[in-house]
Amino acid sequence: MKYISLLIPLLFFAVCLFALVRRVKLYDCFAEGAKQAVPLVLSVFPYLAAILILSELFRQSGLSDRVTALCTPLFTRLGIPPEIAPLVLVKPFSGSGSTALLSELLSSYGADSYIGRCACVAYGSSETVFYISAVYFAGKGKAGARPILISLLCNFLGVVAGCALCRVL
Amino acid sequence: MNGIFAAIFFASLLLFFSEPDGFLSAMLSGAEKAATLSLSLLAAYCVWLGFFCVLERCGAQRALSRAFYPVARRLFRTEDREAVFLASGNLSANLLGLPGAPTPLGVRATRRFLAAGNRYGADMLFVLNATSLQLLPATAIALRLAAGSASPSDIFLPTLLSTLLSSLLGGLLVFATRKR
Repeated sequence: MKYISLLIPLLFFAVCLFALVRRVKLYDCFAEGAKQAVPLVLSVFPYLAAILILSELFRQSGLSDRVTALCTPLFTRLGIPPEIAPLVLVKPFSGSGSTALLSELLSSYGADSYIGRCACVAYGSSETVFYISAVYFAGKGKAGARPILISLLCNFLGVVAGCALCRVL
Repeated sequence: MNGIFAAIFFASLLLFFSEPDGFLSAMLSGAEKAATLSLSLLAAYCVWLGFFCVLERCGAQRALSRAFYPVARRLFRTEDREAVFLASGNLSANLLGLPGAPTPLGVRATRRFLAAGNRYGADMLFVLNATSLQLLPATAIALRLAAGSASPSDIFLPTLLSTLLSSLLGGLLVFATRKR
């Protein structure tokens, strides 16, 4: 773990050293790049707000609990423990929400239990699809449903595979 | 996306009729999260966009895009070297798990693809990001350590294999459902 966290400082060191050799004006150049951050955040913000409002409504209306209850039999059949069903359903909407759920699961079932390990793999092998789509396709015409549906399906199959792998590995 | 949004929105809205007080506060708390998240995104983008500018200026852009061009040209169906640099930087940052780094590159690559009318490239990049291969599931490992796990990195292999599967499948599905 310790060596891996060295990676980021090393990367910065190597690039900045190389830039000095190439006589790049580091200060000016860094500022020029950082300037682009403001318009980027501004263009992404409205879509981010819409998605996060939606995810809050999804959770607080109790819709997520109902969908979880509906999906549990299917999940059990596919080998996903029912305890981690909420995690699987919340992850596409909210990264922070699913992180909170994961740490709850770990503390109530234990990190090394089958459920704990499954939850970690499910967390790691799915992504915040709606959030990514809000950011990437912000305001760029129709964000087609096709890539979103493909990603959701593949993430779900990844979770199924992960739970199966947790049994054997 | 409009369809998905409307479907989830109305389904949640209907459930709120039994408890109407919570509706506005739920919407406001979602918007508040967006506002605070935007601030931390602004900070992360500043750091990484500054770094990428240095990277571009010292010629690493040409080296990177030359290295990835043969593969990326087929993967994203583009001849645009700038977009290849952005997309391959995005995927590498994703692989290394640098927090906050992939997004600004990915957004710029997506915009370049779409500006050139390359829907396929944009979709492919999005799906590869949204099924992202995890070399190091850092958050999960940190949480396992915090929960007192005996072997926190136990989940490394299953996560790697299942994300490998989902990324491959995602790429194949984008390829298979492309518009000719």
